[in-house]
Amino acid sequence: MKISAPAFLWRHNVSGLAVRTFEEAFELVNADLKAAAETEWDKHQVSPLEASDRKVRDARTMAAAMALQKPEAASVFATHLEMLNDPMVRESVEAGLAAGLSDLEAVKAAEESICAIFADIQDEYLRARVDDVRDVFRRLVESMCGNDSALPATPSAGHKDSKVVLVAEELLPSDMVNLDLDGIAGIICRRGSPTSHVCIISHSKGIPIQIGVDISGIKDGDIVSVDDPMVGATSLSKLARSARRRVFVNASNIDEVVEAIASGAEGIGLFRSEFFFMHSPSLPSFEEQRDYYMQLLDASKGHPLNLRLLDVGGDKQLPYMPVEKEDNPFMGVRGIRFLLKHRDILETQIAAALSAAEQFPGQLSILIPMVSTVEEVRAVREIMGDNPEGLVRLGVMIETPASVLCAPGLAAECDFFSIGTNDLTQYVMAVDRSNSEVSSLFDPLSPAMCSALAITVDAAHAAGIPVGVCGELASDPRATRFLIDLGVNVLSIAKL
Amino acid sequence: MVSTKINLAAPAGLHARLAGELVKLVKEYAGSEVQIVTPQRSVNAASILSLLSLGAKCGAELEVRVDGGREEEALVSIAHFLETATI
Repeated sequence: MKISAPAFLWRHNVSGLAVRTFEEAFELVNADLKAAAETEWDKHQVSPLEASDRKVRDARTMAAAMALQKPEAASVFATHLEMLNDPMVRESVEAGLAAGLSDLEAVKAAEESICAIFADIQDEYLRARVDDVRDVFRRLVESMCGNDSALPATPSAGHKDSKVVLVAEELLPSDMVNLDLDGIAGIICRRGSPTSHVCIISHSKGIPIQIGVDISGIKDGDIVSVDDPMVGATSLSKLARSARRRVFVNASNIDEVVEAIASGAEGIGLFRSEFFFMHSPSLPSFEEQRDYYMQLLDASKGHPLNLRLLDVGGDKQLPYMPVEKEDNPFMGVRGIRFLLKHRDILETQIAAALSAAEQFPGQLSILIPMVSTVEEVRAVREIMGDNPEGLVRLGVMIETPASVLCAPGLAAECDFFSIGTNDLTQYVMAVDRSNSEVSSLFDPLSPAMCSALAITVDAAHAAGIPVGVCGELASDPRATRFLIDLGVNVLSIAKL
Repeated sequence: MVSTKINLAAPAGLHARLAGELVKLVKEYAGSEVQIVTPQRSVNAASILSLLSLGAKCGAELEVRVDGGREEEALVSIAHFLETATI
């Protein structure tokens, strides 16, 4: 991910005069770290009474942890607490004091001797832990110098409306925890390691970071860019694949299919066929559709492609098919409801898809939009007829509360589920996301939505069928770990 | 004194969080002195900094030595932790 924003320069200020002894500073820092490590963890505790079902409870716990975005921070504090209390620290400082050094000199000497041991470590990731050692010692030194609020001024304070790129000589893990990261679009540091806790925390919050950049010419307010391949779709797909989940891409035309496959997508999780219909001057014939679907399957080069049946109604209309105005279009004739009212369109589309699939066995699936009853799935299955040897698989979009609540019944009638989180959130939360008065309720990870996702995944797995997520939630790197832990098999994202 | 050799299971090696967990486990055996030994060095397993300074990678062969206290019990539980923890 590459971003550009005004630079915000940040420097550490430490006076060089000791006002506390090592022992006094040790006690203060120890108490601070202890409080930080413990309170951070407490926030993630969820009452066992909140949910009876273990899976749903886990889902909620994880969603809560994600919303807080501080689990990494808590474990960093716990590590720092352990380091401060390490016998090596005390022995090393006491050796310095015995040799006649002042408290401040003894602490600085201890830091250097301990950091020197780390410099010999071969493994770069493990060597980068030296950052944490320096962080602990910096806290000690700052406390000894009477600088108890070592926290940097929050950059967002002066830039309420626009985010900034934080530019620093070096950041230490505790800086990342103390900074108000909401105001930060990206981070640039001169010193540090790409595998340090600073980078890990930054990535966990979806903030791009670049280390080893010459910052000498950068002034406050300069527009600077941060380019970090570890943030965004790359990190998402890496994480998903390491957990043996499949990463698909959503597409609306042939060019997008070609691009997705070229960039490494394992399939097309959602092909929105309505755009082909909307761009045609009139209703496309069986032959036109068959040829188009064959081009699509050819473009996806042997990878699976989920063709969503014509999904019009609501806010999407076909120019050549005027429909009656509805008072409440999002609860009206949409998706499969429209198709079952226009069976000729449905039958032609399915026939064209089956015919195209003959040349590309095992590649094509049909996805039914806006399902709310088992009968709707049966109707489509019936039109598919013999579908010799399961040539085309049949999937159900889970995007209405009804489809969640009858997920076990639907799972028995189809080959896979695909959760459309945008519509599902809108319907589950009963909220119009374009209405700013209620849009804050539009949260695809609200407890109600977490339950809906867990119910759907459980029903799919109980029936032995896979389940994918193709809404915006799938493209959000902050949700990837959650969806993996929930058991989602396929993430279909906007773009790789 | 009892000892055994294990291969480190954790994919990221003996990193900070794993070392922190090991220190916690070692502290449960208050009467025992626990050392982690490599061909080069031997360190105190109750010191996170010493453990990190080993720079032990995934698969590294480590010897666990326990002296005093509930030796056998400590050895089994620490060796099992290092052989199975994959955090």
